[in-house]
Amino acid sequence: MARTPRTPSAAPGGEARPRRSRRALRTGAAALVAPALLVAGCTGGGDDEGGEAGGSSTLDVLVVKHPLTKGMDEMAWVKTLEEEAGVTLNWEEVSADWDQKKSTMLAAGDVPDLVIGTNVITDSDLATYGSLFVDLSEHMDALPNVQAMFEEVDGAEQTATQTDGSVYALPRWKQAWPQAITRQYINQQWLDALGLEMPTTFDELYDVLLAFKTEDANGNGDPDDEIPLDWAPVATTGWGYFQPSALLGGTGLPISGGGGTGYFVEDGTVGNWLADERWKEVLLFLERANAAGLVSTNVMTQDYSAYQSVGRGSGDDATVGMSWGWTSSDRFGAQLAPQYASMAPVLSEPGVEPTWSWDFENLTPNHILLSAQSDAIDAGLRVIDAFYDEDLSVQTLFGDEGEYVTKTGEGAYEVLPPADGTSDPSTWKWTNSLADASPGWIREETQLVLPTDLAEAVEQSAPLEPALANVDPDEDVWPPYIKMSAADLSTLSLNNTTLLNLTQNAFAQFVTNGGVEAGWDDYVASLEAAGLQQNIDLYQQYYDASEG
Amino acid sequence: MALTLGETAEKVPVPPVAGGRRRRPPGAVVSDHLRSRWQLWLMLAPAIALTVVFAYVPMYGLQLAFREFDFAQGLTGGDWVGLAYFRQFFASPLFWDLLRNTVAISLTTLVVGFVAPIALALVVNQVVGRRRKRFLQTATYLPHFISIVVVVGMLQVFLNPATGVLPRSLGLLGVEGGNLLGSTSAFVPVYVISEVWQHCGWNSIIYLAALASVDPQLYEAARVDGASRAQTVRHIDLPALVPTMIVLLILNMGGVLNAGFEKVFLLQNPLNLPVSEVISTYAYKIGILSSQFSYATAIGLFNTLINFVFLVVTNQVAKRVSNTSLW
Amino acid sequence: MTTTSPPRPPRRLRPAATTTRRPRVRHPRTPGELAFSVLLGLVCALVLFATLYPIWFVLIASVSSPAAVNTGQVWVLPAELSLFGYEQILSDGRIWTGYRNTILYTVVGTALNLVVTLPAAYALSRREFAPRRPLMFFFAFTMFFSGGLIPQYLLYKDLGLLDNWLVFVIPSALNVYNLIIARAFFEHSLPEELFEAATLDGVSYLQFFLRIALPLSKAIVSVIGLYYLVQHWNDFFTGLIFVRDYDKQPLQIVLRDILLSNQAFAGGAGGAGGTGGAYGQQYADQIKYGVIIVSTLPVLLVYPFIQKYFEKGVMIGSVKG
Repeated sequence: MARTPRTPSAAPGGEARPRRSRRALRTGAAALVAPALLVAGCTGGGDDEGGEAGGSSTLDVLVVKHPLTKGMDEMAWVKTLEEEAGVTLNWEEVSADWDQKKSTMLAAGDVPDLVIGTNVITDSDLATYGSLFVDLSEHMDALPNVQAMFEEVDGAEQTATQTDGSVYALPRWKQAWPQAITRQYINQQWLDALGLEMPTTFDELYDVLLAFKTEDANGNGDPDDEIPLDWAPVATTGWGYFQPSALLGGTGLPISGGGGTGYFVEDGTVGNWLADERWKEVLLFLERANAAGLVSTNVMTQDYSAYQSVGRGSGDDATVGMSWGWTSSDRFGAQLAPQYASMAPVLSEPGVEPTWSWDFENLTPNHILLSAQSDAIDAGLRVIDAFYDEDLSVQTLFGDEGEYVTKTGEGAYEVLPPADGTSDPSTWKWTNSLADASPGWIREETQLVLPTDLAEAVEQSAPLEPALANVDPDEDVWPPYIKMSAADLSTLSLNNTTLLNLTQNAFAQFVTNGGVEAGWDDYVASLEAAGLQQNIDLYQQYYDASEG
Repeated sequence: MALTLGETAEKVPVPPVAGGRRRRPPGAVVSDHLRSRWQLWLMLAPAIALTVVFAYVPMYGLQLAFREFDFAQGLTGGDWVGLAYFRQFFASPLFWDLLRNTVAISLTTLVVGFVAPIALALVVNQVVGRRRKRFLQTATYLPHFISIVVVVGMLQVFLNPATGVLPRSLGLLGVEGGNLLGSTSAFVPVYVISEVWQHCGWNSIIYLAALASVDPQLYEAARVDGASRAQTVRHIDLPALVPTMIVLLILNMGGVLNAGFEKVFLLQNPLNLPVSEVISTYAYKIGILSSQFSYATAIGLFNTLINFVFLVVTNQVAKRVSNTSLW
Repeated sequence: MTTTSPPRPPRRLRPAATTTRRPRVRHPRTPGELAFSVLLGLVCALVLFATLYPIWFVLIASVSSPAAVNTGQVWVLPAELSLFGYEQILSDGRIWTGYRNTILYTVVGTALNLVVTLPAAYALSRREFAPRRPLMFFFAFTMFFSGGLIPQYLLYKDLGLLDNWLVFVIPSALNVYNLIIARAFFEHSLPEELFEAATLDGVSYLQFFLRIALPLSKAIVSVIGLYYLVQHWNDFFTGLIFVRDYDKQPLQIVLRDILLSNQAFAGGAGGAGGTGGAYGQQYADQIKYGVIIVSTLPVLLVYPFIQKYFEKGVMIGSVKG
């Protein structure tokens, strides 16, 4: 790893650390094993010729990509990018255990020239390690594409800007993704077979699920193989998509990102829905449903594989009545997808104004960073800007032009269906390009013929539109760009670790063993004791500051 | 710790410190020692050098548990906070739960995981016929190579309350097993049994090696004396394993607070959380996922200290009782 | 386990080494013995079933459709046979690079391990070696206290070990656990009389270790060798933290990437673009079982060669007379 020596000017914070005595100790240690490593020296450091001096620079780029993604040197757009930026890229590809690798790398102050991935270095990392990266706000002249994105895309610049005004990491923006990631599905064929109406309230839903359970809804002769309600595994570390937190939409409580650690904003006030009366209503419904055997017996313990497999039923016979997913074909398989209809939020009681989880899939933070220790800052900036070029943005997301995408005109593209017939469009894009991990900017005015899964997601979002319209992004959504100090982040995460330990277990216990009505007050009191209010106050403080 | 060092130093004439004994000058003691033992030092040299460089040199990092981690000031440049992070851990509402869960998991694993390989080795050793024996041995050692991710995946499939092999078989016997993956009372047994299943054969190898060094003439003599097979196991095989057993027991006691992180983490779900949140999973959630290095280091150091105390105590007891010890 | 028989010169012991087969001990067929045999048979059958069934399951699951596996339809025989997983694994070029690297690291690493560990263990087993107790403490201490990853990372950086294949071999050259086990073995299984006799012949420590102790300790040498071998074979952590160049990554990193792609979908289903990718999910599910087979097979092939040293009587019996 012997990097070319760094110039002192290019080495802030990280390198100037006083480590005198330790260094001496380690140098001594080095002398001890030096003989053994002499051999190593010859084999170890041969791969870093280049640098700014020789005209064309070589940059080390660490990319966190999906395990299914093919090698970076197999992607044709990489060559285009290298030519445009006049650099050679040396890829370091990571697909698993990034958290662990990252924490060591950052704490040791040893980062490659560029780091790429979805939220690859988080805001919480940047609160501590910001000085390891170049403040891009000082180099905007060299980044015309990024500059343009900041001007045109709402929130892009705010998302990138840290508390002290510096910009270490750039977000990506892409049009065409639906506002919500989770969609709600019910088996329409079962409804029709049993002569039932689409349920609109918790009570109606209960009756429908009960009918699914007691009768042979899928008509295969076995009245017991139907699972009326199933959801994705709930983690012990927080809430996400395709989980029963989606039912909160029917109570009018506005969550975002599937629920996260429970905090939400409503009319400018921060709260935690895990201690909210409306979550109690959802729990009461789930308790009732579970007691009647309407929920999958394995729902609290299954892993994601089982959850996906069960949804696929067997052959033409569906197994699951109601569930949540990205699209119906992704959730239930191509064969069963036509049986399912996407549905509007189910109301806790008639007359409630529904909401739906407000997600941020179009604007995702922290996709690319440039190391402050890099000896080729200018080349790095060229690479960054090239990523935000229109042509390249489309290719990094969907795949190489010609093979996976056709350019049909100036600023117009058609995403081609998978060449491998057994694959689906979402897997296809992950296998052939960086997809959503890449930095980029798919402009609002770009003409895109979407791949079928995305088109399907957009189409199946229709029933959610009225509920989403009830959410006021300015008043009812936690702004994802709010940055906090390292000390406050530490307090928040300490409390949240304890809180989630309580809430996640309480959720599972309430649903499985009942006792919501009797146990609710004690449950809320235990959350208060674990620092809930302190966290809510902190979040409120930051929220007010950002709005004020 | 210091006490142990002192004690050993008393018994053993460590050259530079224990000089001045009798009338011989210290230098002479050292040079005598070196003259007669230099080959032993030579044999130890690579091991000592490697340990100094790769284990002792980085140990300065332990300071982090007592300092604020301040990146700009360097690893050990942050403010000294003393025991603040330890107090933070002890004051956590989860502390006693974490400790209780960790001990329950690791102690059960320790006891069962210690006995099972011994029993297996004795059984394998009794099997007559080289081929059968080798087959049995290979079969039991296989599961060691299955990665934890897959073992947990298999447990998910086998224990699935609706479709799993085990609940269904139990159902045939008329036993209502319930959801073993979500039950708080089944968590430790599931963890321990799968752990024993996976590593029992592998861990018995060392015992088989010890049995291989038993003098065959002893068996011959026992047969002549008319001993039964059970008696040869009891009086020849078992005693042959004792030294290895003691060493492994001491070593295992040094892991009294180690509950395998990855497996516990993967088996965790909202239902079993009251028994499945252990020190290592907590440290992971707090340390790695939210970069609280000092806190995570302090938790790790606490863990280590408890482990080490157990090791030292067991070692001293073993030294008294059986005259076998690590040092 | 002390003996009182007079020591014999080691040379006379050599020929005995060939008569290593355990003499078949035939016990009379009393009812007690019969019960013992029946019990033994039952226990063995149970143990065999408990270990072999899950292995069989991995095997059939690796060639069955993942949906069938996850919904509990695969019990005894594969369902909806498909070799898709293996095709994917074997067509992945990274696997072969991984294999090559792992074999290199394992062979070189294990050899170095033995060279470092065995002499040290032997030296520490000598009772007349006064500093051995503090030295044991010096080693054992490091099993517990370590400075953590970051100082280690900085040290490796200074030593030029980052992104260098030697990082798989040198820092792990000594495992204290194995050192302790080997020491205990030397201490308890090598008769002291041998050493005394040899010293009378003027044999030095090194000579005794190389010519007498080692040949008599094939069992422990193979156990320690096996422990190290498997440790290197399964090591993914070193690659994860200290190596960035994918061409230097061992097999386990490649396999882990494939294995964890399952989790990647679970965790990233929404976060990473809201696209689980149903096909990718199934791909990952089937592959995970195939990966076990592909990565374990080579270690299994090694085992029989080592196994023969665990047979009874490898250690020359007549020594203790």
